[in-house]
Amino acid sequence: MKGFWATKPDESPSPPIPRVSLTWLLLAQALVIVPFVLHVPLALVGLWLACTIWRIQIFRMRAQYPSTLVKLALLVGTAAGVFFFRGGLVGLDAGAALLIAAFILKMLEMKTRRDALVLIFLGFFCVVVGYLFEDNLLWALFTLLPISTLLAALIGLQQSNLASKPGGTFKLALKLLLQAVPLMLLLFLFFPRLEPLWSLPQPSNKGVTGLSDSMAPGDIAELSQSAALVFRASFDGPIPPRNQQYWRALTLEQFDGRRWSQSARAQIGQAPQWQKLGDPLAYSIVMEPSGKPWLMALDTGETNLPEVRQMSDFRLQRRRPVEQPLLYTVNSWPQARRENQPAIAVVRQDLQLPAKGNPQARQWAADLLRRYPKPDDLAQAMLAWFSDEPFHYTLKPPTLGANSIDDFLFDSRRGFCAHYAGAMTFVLRAAGIPARVVAGYQGGELNPDGRYISVRQFDAHAWVEYWQPGVGWRSVDPTAAVAPQRIEQGLEQALAPDEEFLADSPMSALRYRNVPWINALRLSWDNVNYGWQRWVLGYQGQQQLLVLGRWFSGFDAPVFAGGIVGVLGLIALWLFKPWQRESDSQLRLFNGFERLLARHGLRREQGEGAQAFSRRAALQFPAQAEVIQAFADEFEAHRYAGQSGSLTGLRRRLRQLRRALPWRRTALRDDRH
Amino acid sequence: MIEQLKPIWQRWLVRRIPPASRIELNHRRIFIMPTRSGAVYGLVLVLMLLVAINYQNSLAYGLTFLLLSVAVLGILHTYRNLSGLIISAGSARSVFVGEPVQLRLRLESAGHAHQAISVGWDSVQLQQADVAANALAEVELTLPAVTRGWLRAPRLRVESVFPLSILRTWSWLDLEQTVLIYPRPVPGAMPLLQGVQPHAEDDGLATQGQGVDDYHGLRVYQPGDNRRRLHWKAYSRGQGLLVKDFTDLSGHDLCLDFMALGGDIEERLSRLCHWVLELSKRQQPFALRLPDFLLPVNSGEVHAQACLRALALYGIRS
Repeated sequence: MKGFWATKPDESPSPPIPRVSLTWLLLAQALVIVPFVLHVPLALVGLWLACTIWRIQIFRMRAQYPSTLVKLALLVGTAAGVFFFRGGLVGLDAGAALLIAAFILKMLEMKTRRDALVLIFLGFFCVVVGYLFEDNLLWALFTLLPISTLLAALIGLQQSNLASKPGGTFKLALKLLLQAVPLMLLLFLFFPRLEPLWSLPQPSNKGVTGLSDSMAPGDIAELSQSAALVFRASFDGPIPPRNQQYWRALTLEQFDGRRWSQSARAQIGQAPQWQKLGDPLAYSIVMEPSGKPWLMALDTGETNLPEVRQMSDFRLQRRRPVEQPLLYTVNSWPQARRENQPAIAVVRQDLQLPAKGNPQARQWAADLLRRYPKPDDLAQAMLAWFSDEPFHYTLKPPTLGANSIDDFLFDSRRGFCAHYAGAMTFVLRAAGIPARVVAGYQGGELNPDGRYISVRQFDAHAWVEYWQPGVGWRSVDPTAAVAPQRIEQGLEQALAPDEEFLADSPMSALRYRNVPWINALRLSWDNVNYGWQRWVLGYQGQQQLLVLGRWFSGFDAPVFAGGIVGVLGLIALWLFKPWQRESDSQLRLFNGFERLLARHGLRREQGEGAQAFSRRAALQFPAQAEVIQAFADEFEAHRYAGQSGSLTGLRRRLRQLRRALPWRRTALRDDRH
Repeated sequence: MIEQLKPIWQRWLVRRIPPASRIELNHRRIFIMPTRSGAVYGLVLVLMLLVAINYQNSLAYGLTFLLLSVAVLGILHTYRNLSGLIISAGSARSVFVGEPVQLRLRLESAGHAHQAISVGWDSVQLQQADVAANALAEVELTLPAVTRGWLRAPRLRVESVFPLSILRTWSWLDLEQTVLIYPRPVPGAMPLLQGVQPHAEDDGLATQGQGVDDYHGLRVYQPGDNRRRLHWKAYSRGQGLLVKDFTDLSGHDLCLDFMALGGDIEERLSRLCHWVLELSKRQQPFALRLPDFLLPVNSGEVHAQACLRALALYGIRS
C-alpha cells in the first residue's frame, strides 16, 4: 500500500486541494471502481461508499481526518479482508483488490496536493489493471470517462481556488486527450511489441467452460448449453464448406472403461511426420482465453506463432495456456498424408483397451473384422450401421451401466457425439485398428458482414480418426451418420423438437436467430467486436509485423519520426494560431507603411504617434496626402478604437499608397525640382 | 561547484534575457523542465508499460501511450500558458530600512488566458495569479529593505506548472525595478549645526536638555494646521478643535548637521532621518547639512523628499 503515509510531517506543507479538483477526484474514483465491482470482494464496494461519504463530510467540516490509529486499523482490516475473501495476498485477483483498497483509503487520508497527485496516478494504474479483467469494446470506451475525469482532477489541482469552474477543467482535459490521440495512434502502431519480460500471475479463467483433457460421455452435452465464444476465424480465400470445418483441439487416446483422456505420450513434443498434399487453406483465428494451451486448427495445421508446436497427435500446443485473447494465423492442408509409416508408439497407444468389459462390443468387432478385413471397409460398415439402426441424437441420454459401450450400442442407442465417437473408437480398437477420439469444434456461424466464422461452445464436437499402414490417419465422424443436420446446419437443427436449444440461457441473443432484425443487429455487433479483437486487442507481435509490413514495408523509422514531428507541429500550429495574431498583423502593416515612407526619406521620430507622423508625411507628399491620411485613420480605428474584423481594408490602402508613391526617391526629387 | 557556476549563469541570463521594464515572455525567455511530479508520472508510465508488456494487453499499451502523448502535449500546453504573458513593473514606494518594500507587478494577457502563474523572488515563496484573456492582473510582492540606498529588485521568477504539474515553465526576468531605501529613523537628540546661527544655539542646547517634544500649550485650530497635532481628547470633551503647539522651536531656522553627531555614519544618518521626518511633521523649515552637501532652509513635502534622498544616497553615488 505505497503512499499511504507518503506525507512526512517534516516536509514543507503542500498546498491544500482545490474544490474543483476534489469534485473531479471523487467522480473519477467512482468511475475507476465501477469496472472492478464484479472482480473485487463486494465488501470493498461498501468500504468505498463509506470512505467517500466520510471524505465529503471532511470537506464539509463535519468530520475529522482519520487518526493514525484509525488509518492503521483500516489498513490492516482491509488487507485481512482481502486475505479472507481471496485466500491470499498474491495473485492477480488479490493484487487488484489490494490496489483498489489502497486507492480508496488514499482518498480518505488525502490532505495535500501531493496526496492528490499520488491518488490520481494510482487511479491511472487502476484503470490499466482493470484492462486485465475487462477488455471488450464497451468497457474500453467506458474507461475514457475515468481517464478524462482523472485528467480533469489533475488539471484542477493546479488551478487556483477562485478562478475555476469544473466544466472548463473537464473541457481542457478532453481537449488534451483529443490532441493526444494522433500521437498515441502512432506510438501504438509503431512501438515494438515485446515478449513478456517475466511471468506474472494471470487473471483466473477458472470459470471458463470449454474442452478439457478428458471426456466422459456427458461432458460435451454440458458444453452445448453454453453460447460462449471460443474463437473466430477469417479465411484468406473461400470459406470451406461447413461439413469440412472440423477444428481439432486435442486427441483422447486413453480409455479406462468410462472416460477418454489424453495419453501421457501426447505430452511429449515429438513432431509427427506428415506430407503436405493439395491446396492449403490460409486463415487467421482470434481465440478467446481458454486457460488451456491448445490452439484450434483445421487438419493439418501449421502456425508460425512463436512458442507453439505441433504435437505428436497433430494438435497445436502453446507453451503457456491462452490467458489473453490470442491471434494466430494457420495454414492447413486438409488432404495431407499423416504418419503413413508405421510407428510403434502410435500403434501401441491407439490399440489400448481396458482388459475387461463390454464383451458384446468386442464380439461385434470380431464379427466385423471377419467380414471386412480392410479398415476402410470396416469403418464404412460401422457408419452404415449407425445410420440404419434406430440411433437418436440427443442432449439428454439415459445413464449407462458399467459396460457403457455395450449399453449404448445395443440398448439405449440415444446419445451425443461423445457417445458415438467413443463407441466407434472402442470397436475399431477391438478390431485391431489403431484409433483415437478427436475433441474439438465442428462448424460455426458464418457472419455475412465480416465473412468470418464464429465458433461457440455449443459447437463442441468429438469425432474419430483411425490409422492404417501406408495411408496414415483418416478422420471419420459417426455423428454425421446419425444426425447429418448437426454437421450440415448446426446443433439447433439437429435437436428434436422437444429439446430446447440453449435452455439454460433464455436471454442469449442467439436464441432469437429467427427474428431477422435482432439477428442482423447481433451479427453486426459481433462483427464490430471481432474487428476490435483483431485490430486492437490482437495487435501484438505478429499482427504488428503484418500491418507494418503491409503499409510501410516493415518498421520505418523515418516515417515514425516524421509522423511524430508532423503531428506535434500541427497541434502546435493549432494551439498557438500564429495566423490569428491580429494585433501583430496590424503592426506589420504599419511597419510596411513606415518602411515605404522611409524609402522616400521620411522617418518616424522616436515617440511620434501614427497620426502626427502621417500628417507630416501628408505635408511632404501633398499629392498622396489623401491616401496617407486614409491609411492612418484606418490603422487607428483598428488598433485603438477596437474595430475588429479583417484587415483587408488596411492592406488595400497600403497597396494604393505603394502604387501612388513614385518608386524611387530620386524620381520624387526630380518632381520637386 | 554550483557557487562557482553562478556568475557564469548570471552573465548568460543577462545576455539571454536583457533587463527591461516591460517584457513579453516568448520562446527566448521561457525555460521548461519536468518537475518531480513529472518524474513520478514517468515512473507510473513505466510501470504501466511493464503491465502492458507482461500481460500483452493492447489496451494497457494504448492507455500508456495516451498518457505519454498527453505528457508530450503538456510541453506545448505548459509553454503556452506562460508565453505571450506581458510582465511590467509597477510603481514602488520608498521605505525605510527594516520595513518591507511593496513592489507591484502588472501581468497582462495579449490573447489567451494564463492560469495559475506564480511570481516571486525565489522558487520557494511564490504568489499565484490568474490572468484572464486580454485582461490584466496585479501582483504585489514584498522585499525586505536591508540597507539604505537604491534597492535593485533581484531577478523575478515567473513560473507555472499548469495544466498538468508534470512540467514547469519558468523565466527569470529583470524588470529594472529600483526603490530608494531611506535610513532607519532612530530617535535621539536633535543634531543642530553649531556656531552658525547664534539664536539657534541657545535654543538648540535648551532643547537638547529638555527632550524631544517641547510641548508648549494648546491653541485654537486654524486651517492649514497639521491634523496630526489636533488634540482629540479636548475635542471629545467639547472644548472645540485645539492644536498642540510647539512654539518654542518655531521662528528659528534650524540646520540639521551631520557633523554634530558622533558614532558611525549609519547611526548619524538614522538620527538625521528621524529629525527630517519629525520637523517635516511639525511643518518647520530646516536645512540639512551633510559633508560636501547642503540643502538650504525650506519646508514641505518636496524638501523632505530631497532630504531623505540625500540621506539615503549619502556616500553611495560617488
